[in-house]
Amino acid sequence: MRHGGLLLVAGLALTVSTLATAQRSREAGKAIYAASQASEGARIYAVRCAMCHGRTLDGSVEIPGLKGKFMANWAGRPVGDLFDYVAQAMPQPAPGTLADIDNARLVAFILSENGLTAGSVPLAVDRAALRRIVLAPVPPR
Amino acid sequence: MASSAKRGPPAARRAVLGGVLGAAGSLALPGAGRAADAARQLGGRPRLVPMRVGLDQLIDVKCCIRPLRAAGPNLAAETVGNRLVIHNYGHGGSGWSLSWGSAEVAVGKALSVLPKSLAVVGCGIIGLTSAIVAQRAGLNVTIYARELMPRTRSFRASGSFTPGSRIALTGPAGAGFGDQWEQMARFSWKMFRTFLGMPGDPVAFGDSYNVSQKPIERRTWPGDPAITTNWETAGLPQQNAEFAHLDSRIRDIVPQPVDLAPADNPFATPFAQRSSQMHFNFPAYSHLLLSEFFERGGRFTMRNFHSPADFAAIPEKVIIHATGYAARDLWQDRTIIPVRGQTAWLVPQPEANYALRFNNMSLLSKADGIVLMNNNPDLGDMLGVGDSNELPNRAPLEEALAAMAPLFAPLAVAGGAV
Repeated sequence: MRHGGLLLVAGLALTVSTLATAQRSREAGKAIYAASQASEGARIYAVRCAMCHGRTLDGSVEIPGLKGKFMANWAGRPVGDLFDYVAQAMPQPAPGTLADIDNARLVAFILSENGLTAGSVPLAVDRAALRRIVLAPVPPR
Repeated sequence: MASSAKRGPPAARRAVLGGVLGAAGSLALPGAGRAADAARQLGGRPRLVPMRVGLDQLIDVKCCIRPLRAAGPNLAAETVGNRLVIHNYGHGGSGWSLSWGSAEVAVGKALSVLPKSLAVVGCGIIGLTSAIVAQRAGLNVTIYARELMPRTRSFRASGSFTPGSRIALTGPAGAGFGDQWEQMARFSWKMFRTFLGMPGDPVAFGDSYNVSQKPIERRTWPGDPAITTNWETAGLPQQNAEFAHLDSRIRDIVPQPVDLAPADNPFATPFAQRSSQMHFNFPAYSHLLLSEFFERGGRFTMRNFHSPADFAAIPEKVIIHATGYAARDLWQDRTIIPVRGQTAWLVPQPEANYALRFNNMSLLSKADGIVLMNNNPDLGDMLGVGDSNELPNRAPLEEALAAMAPLFAPLAVAGGAV
């Protein structure tokens, strides 16, 4: 970890405080994104994500779907974790090339596709705010 | 089909595959599929069951990223909270091939603190072999991963024994890496021997032919002085000379190619080499490994990890981290370089149990299908470097199908059309 040591330490400190903050301000069940934001996310998704994750977000044997099991893996964590992952690791062929505002739209779209209720206030492009929102699982319909 | 060792290349071009295709139509003699030698005992020129190579046989295309790590696999230990994390990731195109030796190193480090139980994060071939090696040492093991094999990147490899494939860059790996690699490669090779001849052929050998219109010479990659940048300055390797090429260190045990006399060449080309190639039949082998893991009491927990801090929440105090390419984001290890590769798969043809390489293209017949690759020979190890796109591109694979089919065509016998 010659190159990553400092980053790692910084990342650890950040994440520990992130989790603590998130647990103090759980907002499960509340609308955390705007419907219009999700619609914009759908447009971006179609162009930048659907070729791998599929038009219906179902993924494949080899590429993770963004529904169902996906929520099991991300639920209970700050939505900021999901935002960070999308921002740094996606789209996989060109990681980190989307603007934060578009990453927030994509997260909103994914949440809407997983049945989370839309509201009128968009998911903020603000990492501190994103860390305070915990992703709550939604029962299947 | 009389043959003569003194026959020159033009005659050899006419003489090939004829035993099977000429005398017996397109069918092989029963039992002649194992190798040309078996057919020779029946008299005449060595002959092989021809592979059916065409789009009508295509059943899958797979694309995957090799996790080349500049300094070679990360096998270091570090602490996260009060957890001891032993890394075992970054094996480039050599994960399957080095898995046992690499697991031995990682588990050895884990055992040094005398744990009773162990967590393994990741369930590709590195995670799975690490878990089993730990179980064989008496530990209770739980695997934590988003996916269980076969839904891991490992499963999208080609499945041939390639312990030196994109395993490291010489400079960043340092002088001692060759010895460590050799230890892991030799250890793995011996372990694979323990899977030979088992039901389902989890690990198997086959003849591998390299055929050519030109004399076959081993390709070397001298440094290009015109290229003045390298991984250290550019973030990606810039030429083949930067890659560690270590395979010759174990040539005393791994079968090397032998030149075939025209009379021994089953194909319609003037030049050919044959070697014995070990390969992994993924379904049988992964089933065997998973079975051993669970029979020894192993447990699997589906879990997605977001950052190293998540490891502190794992109940076990000692953790082997084996997430392969995913470590690039999970552990923020930017020294991992994506190297894209892709394969096409044809319907299994167990009666044609051999491999064939022609120019930049190859076919390897395995129990789980015939794997086809089309790798630009002028790029060598640089092919796919820096490319993290995991969507298959069918065009070069279809080109290879079309280009290799004539090698098996009856017309090639009479017309020397290849």
